[in-house]
Amino acid sequence: MAAGSRAPGPRFALPVLGLLLVGFAAPLLAVIGYSFMPERTFGLWQEPTLDNYASVFSGTSYISFLWSLALASATVTVLALVCYPIAYGLARVFGRWSPLITLLFTIPLFVSENVRLYGWVLFFIKGGVLLGTLKSVFGIEIESWLFTRGIILLGMVYVYLPFMLFPMTLGVAMVPHETSEAAADLGASRWQVFREVELPLSMPGIVIGFLLTFVLAVGAIVEAKVLGGQQIIPITHDIEIAFTYAQNWPLGAALAVLLMVVVGVLVIGVLRRFDLDAVLGRR
Amino acid sequence: MSQTHILRLDSVVKRFGGLTAVNGVSLAIAEGEFFTIVGPSGSGKTTLLRMLAGMDTPSSGDILLRGERINDMPANQRPTCMVFQSLALFPHRTVGQNIEFALKIRGVDAATRKARALELMAQLRLPADYYGKSVTKCSGGERQRVALARSLAYDPAILFFDEPLSAIDYKLRKTLEKELKDIHRETGKTFVYITHSLEEAMVMSDRIGVMCAGEMVQVGTPDEIYTAPRTRFVSEFMGDVNVVPVRLGPDGRLHSDDPPSVFKAPTLPEGFARGHLVVRPESMRFVERAEQADNHVAGRLYNEYALGSRIQYQVRVGERVFIVERLRQQAFAGRLDDAVLIGWDAANSLVVGD
Amino acid sequence: MGAGARWRHPLVWAWAATVLVFMYVPALCLLLASLTSSRYFIFPITKWGVAWWEKTFDSLEIHALFRTSISVALCLTVVAVVIAFCGALAFARYQWRGRTLFQRLVLLPIFFPQSVLGLALLLWFSALGLDLSWRTAVFAHLVWIAPVVTLVIAIQVYSFDPALEEAAFDLGASRWQVFREVTLPVLFPGVFSGALFAFLLSWGNFPLSLFSTGADTTIPEYLYAKMVAGYTPGVPVLGTVSTVGAAVLLLVGYLLIRLGRRSRRDDAVERT
Repeated sequence: MAAGSRAPGPRFALPVLGLLLVGFAAPLLAVIGYSFMPERTFGLWQEPTLDNYASVFSGTSYISFLWSLALASATVTVLALVCYPIAYGLARVFGRWSPLITLLFTIPLFVSENVRLYGWVLFFIKGGVLLGTLKSVFGIEIESWLFTRGIILLGMVYVYLPFMLFPMTLGVAMVPHETSEAAADLGASRWQVFREVELPLSMPGIVIGFLLTFVLAVGAIVEAKVLGGQQIIPITHDIEIAFTYAQNWPLGAALAVLLMVVVGVLVIGVLRRFDLDAVLGRR
Repeated sequence: MSQTHILRLDSVVKRFGGLTAVNGVSLAIAEGEFFTIVGPSGSGKTTLLRMLAGMDTPSSGDILLRGERINDMPANQRPTCMVFQSLALFPHRTVGQNIEFALKIRGVDAATRKARALELMAQLRLPADYYGKSVTKCSGGERQRVALARSLAYDPAILFFDEPLSAIDYKLRKTLEKELKDIHRETGKTFVYITHSLEEAMVMSDRIGVMCAGEMVQVGTPDEIYTAPRTRFVSEFMGDVNVVPVRLGPDGRLHSDDPPSVFKAPTLPEGFARGHLVVRPESMRFVERAEQADNHVAGRLYNEYALGSRIQYQVRVGERVFIVERLRQQAFAGRLDDAVLIGWDAANSLVVGD
Repeated sequence: MGAGARWRHPLVWAWAATVLVFMYVPALCLLLASLTSSRYFIFPITKWGVAWWEKTFDSLEIHALFRTSISVALCLTVVAVVIAFCGALAFARYQWRGRTLFQRLVLLPIFFPQSVLGLALLLWFSALGLDLSWRTAVFAHLVWIAPVVTLVIAIQVYSFDPALEEAAFDLGASRWQVFREVTLPVLFPGVFSGALFAFLLSWGNFPLSLFSTGADTTIPEYLYAKMVAGYTPGVPVLGTVSTVGAAVLLLVGYLLIRLGRRSRRDDAVERT
């Protein structure tokens, strides 16, 4: 502001930093602490041990881990293809309709994901909206697709779509319209304009979209439960079981730590390359 | 000019970390004066102004307002006011509310505030029905006047201007420059103005201070700055000039290596040994024979540019380019690449230090 | 661009429309399922009716759920907006050493699986010996939502001209007056959007509530329990209510922001 107010920046950062310390850093440290405690203990002051990590790798949890990673990768891939044309449209084509369309994509974000997924259950279930219509109108009877792997993927794509769409739109909007026109004017085909100009310039938004959806998808739990039956057991399910039914907090903590490591490495690795002022603050 | 100084600066220094933005500026500004500080971006002029206005404090040195040291007095207690580069009009307020802001802060009642606002609006030629208009609805020139009225509202002792005209197109800027000078005359207040345009400074100012790399390199009337620049920087800041490095020979003439030549010297300052010879383009002329001017050089006509009422010619002499300007009516009839002879009289040149 | 745009643009429109329909299929299914008077959902519906709507709204249990969800969301909104407003100023307004690091730290909870965060908070609360209730849920929501709101407000702060504050200060305002008369009113649209986001994100949150509410239950938690065991058409009723509620709140908020912005934009047009 002016003379006399020394360093207002750090002062204003304090509340958020305090919250992150007490509500984010400390809980994660507690998880790390528990992961070194002996099996089925509930205190933090026992002799540290590596047993939990050993049992993670000797058990079946690593399969859940791989499933979670595979599912998240598939989700990100599908979302990239689904969202790019819409992001392009929001930034370039829809014009004055853009805000309204953005809003329509935003609304589902604020409804609990399990509620929305339950809507899909009602759609796909035997005697539900899809199969019921097929049977009564066309006389066709087929098996329900519910509780298959494909449906889990559909649910994840559905739930995380806005998280890919919005950063991507920011990214595409960062490409000045004239650069595409200049490239076309210099003789580039539509595909070349996309590959040589639009894609590289919108990369910051796209990468943030990838990262956000991947991280959220790796931590997904409800999709597999509500839509998937027992077809896929994601790592988060194992963690939850360890904490609740099995009452084995240290094992659950060890699993959570492994997940945190994967997520943390990815997030920190990607975010450190970004100039957030450039992505968010287009003045 | 009045001898009472309203503002005095005594060896003012401002450092940001390892960078010295303002390096020992001393200055005295007279009551009622229109003083302009000019300099290129990065010369420290904005930092200096912010210290005067109370938005930065000097690292060392003193700022005195009517003899009172005000180094540490914050901006909201100084009887001075600033017109910002962005104008900083409050977008959520009307024209009237913007102008009355300072009065409202000081607890002046609504009726008095409104009377004062309307009085200022009349003085600045803003229609009275603008009182309830949103500032975002005003045109560029109107916004300038609202900003000025807002600063004048509580009758400050000094008005500071931080390049308020820099974002305005050429034609409107020329009008506003003159208007500002009229307002200075009408209000009789002390104006301290900063700009990067010496041209703008020339039009409005009583005195000009030229800043370069954190130092005040020359202070003088517009006429002094124009006719007697003290350094190469000041002479070049004015616009296109011909500058040739020279040294004083034992023969009392000026010797130059590029182009290799000897020139007749103008009146030299005391103790001059080496420096730069400065010749303004309008003092240069094309000659047919060497005897037609005190000094001459031979070169080739490289290109010509029409500058409205004048035409500018570039003449290449070896690697060096000389600039000659003629009135349009006296255009030079040569063709590009012709060998030409250009010359000037010693009385129309001057020498400066580095 | 040129000729290609002629056929490409309708395709983009069509694709966006298709995906939007896809986004609203579940909401439609919930609505249909809520409008039956039979106990189980069989499509096509033979016995239409609003009996389950009446039953749901008369239930005392449901009233308690609403109270809990609204208490959590309201408390959270107030605290989150205050914290995030300061955070946004540090994020985008001031230049200071460590700002880049701060910006990244703020993003970390957003880029973190919420279910794991919920469990970590559960461990932490139990290590501290806290009793879980809707108050701990407010705190759990805060860890994730305050950073989101910080970003929302920061976007507005980026377009704020710091000279406005200096001008007010220069005109004699105290720091508090500068804040009240200039900073807050100019940034208000961002604060309003932030508050809207905070309320809605808390209202619809499940993974954090699941591990942090203890004996109290929010609407998403209740619905989940009913989905897993004990479906009644009350589930789609509540689901529809929370979808429509979110949509209405967001639309009204959006229109208010548009109105505010339009009056400013019209001004800008008139000016040129």
